[in-house]
Amino acid sequence: MSWSLFLPLMIPFAAAALAVLGPRAGFEARWISVGGSALHLAAAINLAVVVAGEGVVAAQMGGWAAPVGVTLAADALAAIMVLAVAFMGLAVAVYALADIDRRRASAHWHALYQLLLAGASGAFLTGDLFNLYVWFEVMLIASFGLLVIGGDRAQIDGGVKYVALNLVATLCFLVAVGLIHGQTGTLNMADLSVKIAERPSAALDAASVLLFAAFAAKAGFFPLFFWLPAAYHTPPMAVTAIFAAVLTKAGVYAIFRVFTLIFPESPALDALLWIAIATMVTGVIGAGAHTDARRILSFHIVSQIGYMALGLALATPLAIAGAIVYMVHNIVVKANLILIAGVQRRMTGAHDLVKAGGLYAAAPLLAFLFFVSAMAMAGVPPLSGFWGKLALAQASVSAEAWAALAATLGVGLFTLYSMTKIWLLGYLSPHASGRAHAVKALPRGARLALMGPVAALAATSAALGLNPGPLLEAAGTAAAQLLDPTAYVAAVLGAHG
Amino acid sequence: MTLALIALTPFLGALLPALMIRTGRNACAVTAGGVTLFALILLLVEAPAVWRGEVLLQRVDWMPGLGLNATFMLDGLGLFFAGLILGIGLLVILYARFYLDRDDPMGRFYSYLLLFQGAMVGIVLSDNVLMLLIFWELTSLSSFLLIGYWRHAPEGRQGARMALAVTGMGGLAMIGGMLILGDIAGSYDLSVILTKGEAIQASPLYLPALLLILLGCFTKSAQFPFHFWLPHAMAAPTPVSAYLHSATMVKAGIFLMARLWPALSGTPEWFYIVSTTGLVTMVIAAVIALFKDDLKALLAFSTVSHLGLITMLLGFGTPMAATAAVFHILNHATFKAALFMSAGIVDHAAHTRDIRRLGGLRRLMPATFWVATIAALSMAGAPLLNGFLSKEMMLEEAVHTPWLGLGWPIPLLATVGALFSAAYSFRLIGHVFLGPQRDDYPAAPHDPGPGLLAAPALLVAGVVAIGLAPAMVAGGLVNLVADAVTGGAAEPVKLKIWHGLTLALAMSAVALVGGYLLLARYADAVARWRRAGVFAAKPVFDALIALLAALAERGTSALHAGTLPRALGALCVALLAMGFAGWGEGALAGSRETLTPPLIALAPWALLIGTCLAAARMHHDRLMMVLLTSVVGLVVSLGFVYLSAPDLALTQISVEVVTTVLMLLALNFLPKDSPDETGPMLRTAQAGLALVAGLGAAALSYAVMTRDGPTISEFHVAQSYPGGGGTNVVNVILVDFRGFDTFGEIIVLAIAALGIYALLDGALRGPSLGRVISWVPDQERSKDRHPMMLVVATRFLLPVSLVVGLFILLRGHNQPGGGFIAGLVVAIALVMQYVASGYAWTAQRRPMDHHGMIGLGVLVAGLTGAGAWLADRPFLTSAYGYVTLPPLEKFELATAMAFDLGVFLTVVGAVLLALENLSRVARFAEQPGPDEPMDVDPSAEPRTAQEKG
Repeated sequence: MSWSLFLPLMIPFAAAALAVLGPRAGFEARWISVGGSALHLAAAINLAVVVAGEGVVAAQMGGWAAPVGVTLAADALAAIMVLAVAFMGLAVAVYALADIDRRRASAHWHALYQLLLAGASGAFLTGDLFNLYVWFEVMLIASFGLLVIGGDRAQIDGGVKYVALNLVATLCFLVAVGLIHGQTGTLNMADLSVKIAERPSAALDAASVLLFAAFAAKAGFFPLFFWLPAAYHTPPMAVTAIFAAVLTKAGVYAIFRVFTLIFPESPALDALLWIAIATMVTGVIGAGAHTDARRILSFHIVSQIGYMALGLALATPLAIAGAIVYMVHNIVVKANLILIAGVQRRMTGAHDLVKAGGLYAAAPLLAFLFFVSAMAMAGVPPLSGFWGKLALAQASVSAEAWAALAATLGVGLFTLYSMTKIWLLGYLSPHASGRAHAVKALPRGARLALMGPVAALAATSAALGLNPGPLLEAAGTAAAQLLDPTAYVAAVLGAHG
Repeated sequence: MTLALIALTPFLGALLPALMIRTGRNACAVTAGGVTLFALILLLVEAPAVWRGEVLLQRVDWMPGLGLNATFMLDGLGLFFAGLILGIGLLVILYARFYLDRDDPMGRFYSYLLLFQGAMVGIVLSDNVLMLLIFWELTSLSSFLLIGYWRHAPEGRQGARMALAVTGMGGLAMIGGMLILGDIAGSYDLSVILTKGEAIQASPLYLPALLLILLGCFTKSAQFPFHFWLPHAMAAPTPVSAYLHSATMVKAGIFLMARLWPALSGTPEWFYIVSTTGLVTMVIAAVIALFKDDLKALLAFSTVSHLGLITMLLGFGTPMAATAAVFHILNHATFKAALFMSAGIVDHAAHTRDIRRLGGLRRLMPATFWVATIAALSMAGAPLLNGFLSKEMMLEEAVHTPWLGLGWPIPLLATVGALFSAAYSFRLIGHVFLGPQRDDYPAAPHDPGPGLLAAPALLVAGVVAIGLAPAMVAGGLVNLVADAVTGGAAEPVKLKIWHGLTLALAMSAVALVGGYLLLARYADAVARWRRAGVFAAKPVFDALIALLAALAERGTSALHAGTLPRALGALCVALLAMGFAGWGEGALAGSRETLTPPLIALAPWALLIGTCLAAARMHHDRLMMVLLTSVVGLVVSLGFVYLSAPDLALTQISVEVVTTVLMLLALNFLPKDSPDETGPMLRTAQAGLALVAGLGAAALSYAVMTRDGPTISEFHVAQSYPGGGGTNVVNVILVDFRGFDTFGEIIVLAIAALGIYALLDGALRGPSLGRVISWVPDQERSKDRHPMMLVVATRFLLPVSLVVGLFILLRGHNQPGGGFIAGLVVAIALVMQYVASGYAWTAQRRPMDHHGMIGLGVLVAGLTGAGAWLADRPFLTSAYGYVTLPPLEKFELATAMAFDLGVFLTVVGAVLLALENLSRVARFAEQPGPDEPMDVDPSAEPRTAQEKG
């Protein structure tokens, strides 16, 4: 049990260390990264099987029984997230074979990439509030490195904004952890859940709001998301893709975890419905204002985070399950669209759609894959984006949250608008230069590495869309475990307590 | 599972044409036709049961959690529509085979078409409204693909997008409406919803649900004011126009109104919204159609008009009107599809669809002329054709329907609509086919081959057959369908050509004669129409989109000005607002007894405040800022000393030293002052913000410190030695109790070092390398690059420092110390070598590469932790024991010490890697000459002046 929890964390760490040391012994870091990611995925699948079979599992690091040491724990949500991130990790690692040049690779790009995956896995699996902080720091520093490696001016500029704003949020996180520890004397989440339910206080409420704000900034909630559009469009697309799959989602996960387990009554949750709606709307508006594919997609990340927030705001089993389904869909599809944007850029020579075009004629396969992914993103049935949205809409109706219903559906329309903008400008229209062969084919060596992950992710999205049953079921289990944390608490405290 | 198979056949078959196109265009078309025919036969197999009055229901549980089941239902209405979709589908496939050019990718066309067909059949056979919605959205999507099929045409792209925007909006509204409807009815199954009409209409949510559903229906069926997308969708190839935009897809909205008729109709809301919309659409679109010069645009607006007519009939809410609506759906599908196909034939032959450039085609294209004329006369409502019959029924119903208590508005407007309808139908015949032959057609018009003509001819045969023998040909079907629509409320009607001299007949006559007269004075009418100023919805739509885009741009640029101070300010304000809002009820001070501050604590406190004030004052001077920041660190370490935490104090001091040195090295390349970027107003605001943030943090700290809480430290103290094998509790916490955190933190450190490497590596490439090389030091340099005193002192100190470091590392488990502090001490000793003797000298003598040292450190720490697995214990479980080596006393060895070694290596490696990279930049920037400290070697031969020269 301890192994299955720890392997998804350990493997990317080992891969990172080897990626630093390996090139000195003649091994290419990029292949170490691909191999590590494949093992990571295997470990994540193993964990998912274990969690599906045994329910919530926990392990105590250092062998110290629960509130003393650091606990690792996995419930259905954690297992789903680890699996999703490991899956994306492998896809992007393969894409990076062709997307990351030698110069970036020699600056330890692949090691930092593995560390980002390790940090994310740690954040999903930890059962300790301070340890969560540690993994967020690992993610922050690793992502900062990835953001600025090989940096031109724009990358450094985006990177500095990114790290400065995120450090403030991280600091806020740390202060909140300190305040909570000062009042409860414990950092173990399950233990906190029990202790705070026994002794709520105004000071704890305030700390919970600070904690919420910190996670909200990480997740990209309105009005704390400015770091995201400032930075996400600058690095290579492999970086943006893994960021989209991992970073904001870790923030959302932390909110789901902490505000169901530790602070289910936090005053922050009262505002969450409106925060969610505002996030959905501002993001989609931002996307409307741009014609650069990367910026459009970055703003949509923000918008779609709002859907996930909405799930927790409504806090019914259906809503939370819907949010989880939506999150998994979003991790796969959004990252894929970003990877596709990278291919678009290589073929048309421009990220700005106004200067691109002609892909439908020149690359029918890419066009097909984009169309499937884009429609999934817009939530067109029966693709993967529809199911989470449908569940959230149903939950909004049951809760009579009409504004939420309107936002859920209306934002989808604007997403559709953005996606058709990319489709019409980048694909259907002839290339802006007017030259007949302006769209270049992918170089032979790069084709498989770039198109393979794109096709695999599009197929995944289609599979999630046509057969959403298993995911819906898993998300339902996860939602039930979140809303009634007794099993989690028992697994963490009961095993040794 | 026949019903599911009927709906799925076109989807599965959609792959085939794309594959079959490799074997030729005929094979491709035959495959598409075969798929459709197969589905049609399956439908006909089920038809007899429906004919007997059964309702077939087939159900598979799919996703019960969402209330979504794959339930299919076949009743009269479903049978009728499915037959229409598949039957006309067959004809369109036939027609398209001969219509598409050699260059058009035919396989793709048929694939899209079958996709659409499947979605349409799915809509009309769904029993579950959620499943219906899925198919509904799919029709929008496949229509998007089909409208944009000719990708070289920009109007096709715009039309596709507009159609998707409008119908997509409606579709989303409908999802909302259906969810509410399902919520009221307690089920998403139509068979349940249709029985709950009373409960639904009594619900307070009836009106919102109705509005949302109707929004979906109206947008799909192009009802005013959402009608404008349909004419722009005519950029699609003509078979698409004939199929989607006249016969089937635009009828989806109508279908749904008919489907939900028993549950939703009969209320005043339903009557006024639906019938008024239909009436207005019918009249306005008919008027616009008359003045369109593009043949397909004329037909498009006439379609809108006829859809309005059907909508109005459904809106009346009476069974008789519903029967008329059903009949007109059938009639319109036949004559309008035939007309579209004829328009396509004309376009193909004459290479233009502009009515002003046509005329006199009667003799050149006689067959087409007859087909088009019969269909157009039916559309005009001429007797003995099917259009006449349903129009009569419509007028009859209009006469009996008062509006706001008035008897005249509906009959009058219906007659006006019929009049214009007759006028544009006559215009189509008169201005395209009749009149003198011209000699300036863009191409020589001729009748097409039988392939292209067969489909419209068959449809026209239907038009005539129904017109002549309505009861025999269509009577049974119409009654069956009307029965299904009204839920059994419709009386069977006997369709007749002659109803006697009724008011409706008179209105019909007025419409026909009036239409003819209007066309006779067409030039006059056009002039009048131009003067009136045309109201066009497209500019409004475009303006709306432009407005939204502008608003988005404005809002986005206001929110994302991009400067860091603004973003940070916004972040802080948001954090503060949330923090303050989060404080609920309750006093700030807790119940714990407060202590008086000892005098000795006041001095560092005052120092801290003084430092902060000085920093605020002197923040332009970056060197001062570095120093002042380190003062803060020192005060903190004093605090640790005062609170008897020597480990923490040691750590803090050494961290201060290392960071200050590194920052000074970095500052070397930066401007020494920062410019004044803020005005007094902004500065005041920022100061206020900082003050509030500080006070807030202080208040929270106060609140926490004045409260008693349970603590875990007793356990740590008690278990440190027995459980962790060390008497230094702080160290045992770091390497054992919470070793996992430490593991994470050394990784953070390692990443930070790699990050510095990555950043500075970038600085030494490309354009920035040029900037580095051309950089001129802005401060005077010491003439003595390697001061002798410093060099000697640091070299002398190096072994001492290394021993101290080792000592601190080894004793750490029991005495103040540990890997982290030891690493910093050693790192400082090495940093001093770099400072004194320079980069080159030191780098030559380093024992191992720093990247490797970091990697090794992380590996050692990780493997130590993983070693516990060998003993089947969790990660990082420690063990310790006592060892005796002969010359030494008995001493303790703990696995935690190996972990600490990993920490040590990582810290040293990280600090040195950072230093090394800063020095690399310096070497490029300063381009020093010979870089040897103490390069006077007394033991060597003294160099002479000649040798130097």
